[in-house]
Amino acid sequence: MTSSERLDAVISGTVPDRVPLAPLLDHWAAIHSGISVYDLMTDPDKRIRAILKTASDFKWDMTFLADTANETLLRIGVAARLKMPGVDLPANCAHQFEETGFMQVSDYALLETQGVVPFFLAIVGRIYPEMTMERALADLARVTEEIKEHGRLLRQSGIEPAVGFVIPGCSFEYFSLARGISEGLLDLRRHPETMRKAGKRYCADMLAMAISAIVQNGIQRVFVGLSRSSPVFVSTKHFETIILPEIEYIVNGFVNAGITPVLHCDTDWTKFLPYFQKFPAGKCILELDGFTDIKAAKEILGKRMAIMGDVPSTLTANGTKDEVLDYCRNLIKTVGVGGGFILSTGCSIPVNAKEENILALTEAVEEWGWYQ
Amino acid sequence: MTDNQDHNQLSRSMAELDEGSVDRMIGRLLLDGVAPLEIIHDLTAGMEDVSRLYQEEEYALGELIYAGVIFKNAMNRIRPCLKNENAESRGIVVMGTVKGDIHDLGKNIVIMLLECHGFGVIDLGVDVPRERFVNAIQQSGAKLLGMSALLTTALPEMQEVIRALDHAGLRDQVRIMIGGATASGKFGKEIGADFYGRDAVEGVNIAKHLYHVEGVS
Repeated sequence: MTSSERLDAVISGTVPDRVPLAPLLDHWAAIHSGISVYDLMTDPDKRIRAILKTASDFKWDMTFLADTANETLLRIGVAARLKMPGVDLPANCAHQFEETGFMQVSDYALLETQGVVPFFLAIVGRIYPEMTMERALADLARVTEEIKEHGRLLRQSGIEPAVGFVIPGCSFEYFSLARGISEGLLDLRRHPETMRKAGKRYCADMLAMAISAIVQNGIQRVFVGLSRSSPVFVSTKHFETIILPEIEYIVNGFVNAGITPVLHCDTDWTKFLPYFQKFPAGKCILELDGFTDIKAAKEILGKRMAIMGDVPSTLTANGTKDEVLDYCRNLIKTVGVGGGFILSTGCSIPVNAKEENILALTEAVEEWGWYQ
Repeated sequence: MTDNQDHNQLSRSMAELDEGSVDRMIGRLLLDGVAPLEIIHDLTAGMEDVSRLYQEEEYALGELIYAGVIFKNAMNRIRPCLKNENAESRGIVVMGTVKGDIHDLGKNIVIMLLECHGFGVIDLGVDVPRERFVNAIQQSGAKLLGMSALLTTALPEMQEVIRALDHAGLRDQVRIMIGGATASGKFGKEIGADFYGRDAVEGVNIAKHLYHVEGVS
């Protein structure tokens, strides 16, 4: 099977020839290929060369286009001020965000009545007063073209680009950054209706924007970020009444457009996994980061969606190669039973991951990942 | 006149996160001449229930944060009535996110809960150099230091802080707890920390244990 066929088989619920391998790559591409993290984040040509080298060296089936370390996307898409390695932080570390709450309660009404573009421009203008709106829009247009070209280059090398767009899985993911996590969580109690109305507009506009971008770049998968809407942060009541309806709307919208949602679930989602049984069968990937019980996910959702994960970042950074091999073998022998499993890292590879530990993932699928 | 029922009702309202009821009850209790320290005691008992419900996964971080807001607002109302009464601090805790990391959510929730439970907290903020931890312990005499980190790259700095405390001759007079998504009990033992707090409530229980506060779960 080709990498593409292998992934299609896993997503649709049939058994592939072997477990596909697709670690979440961002800053570590710079470390592996010997460029600075700053260059990776800011220079698209260096970025794609680093991605191609890393994914080829480790024989991955699918790789991310380091979307989560793309300076332009981070500045425009994340509602917190970016701190750059080599500028605001020491060189060759991961970027970080200063979360200071750039959104006011009144901005919910702006979003509801005018839509995401005026809303984003207002928020981005507050976070980066030095950035003009013309520059932001031009940068976004450039990145859209880059993603299309980078996807083509990867496919030329027999590697599948993981996703064609990155979107928060619900409006709360964005609001809780824009308002600050504490204020965002308090808004769920104090302004639930306001949030619900703004969230409805947010989801509709973001879904349309994502589908339009994916139609252009031809990468039929989408990164659906889910972190702060997890049971770690929100109660069952708020999840059921405010968050879940939006996730359902977004997932169904993508599936109806022929796009596979990659539900990127950070933190512990175990308690809420049964809700995911509502999503269409054979159409989604559930990506876990090592905090959710992945074996419980296999039991609850294994027949409905592919499960991807979840070698923890602490293991790739601080563990031994034997420990990583053991962890991978265990995943393949349990979560990988009967197909439906993609071996990956838990969230992205940390910048201090050891080379031999990343190689261990490749060796594990070669040794234990074949189904025939 | 007030009776036990009123006190229980205040604790229950606090535990159920009924902000309006807490506000009304405090107004009435103060009007009835109930000692402010007794009211604080009831609120703290309610916070204990909030912590328990969090550990039982009935509540999430959102509820913990909301409880902190209710408690803080209640304290703002009670404080001017304290007069000569002294709500003594149960002890001092120095807290900070280590150098190389600016994540502060976990640390801030621990601080909020510590304050609700009567501890004095010296918050050193984020990206804290080891010398500032040493100075804060030296100057405050705190018996407990809490360090937090999210990034795997920042974890080794926790060990450097412990070494710096050792070097300054302070290690024997302070106990060290660590926390953060990528930290673990195993890691804590490896670097010579005394405690690992899996979540904010465990962090508070460690402080209570160390300062011999009753009701440690």
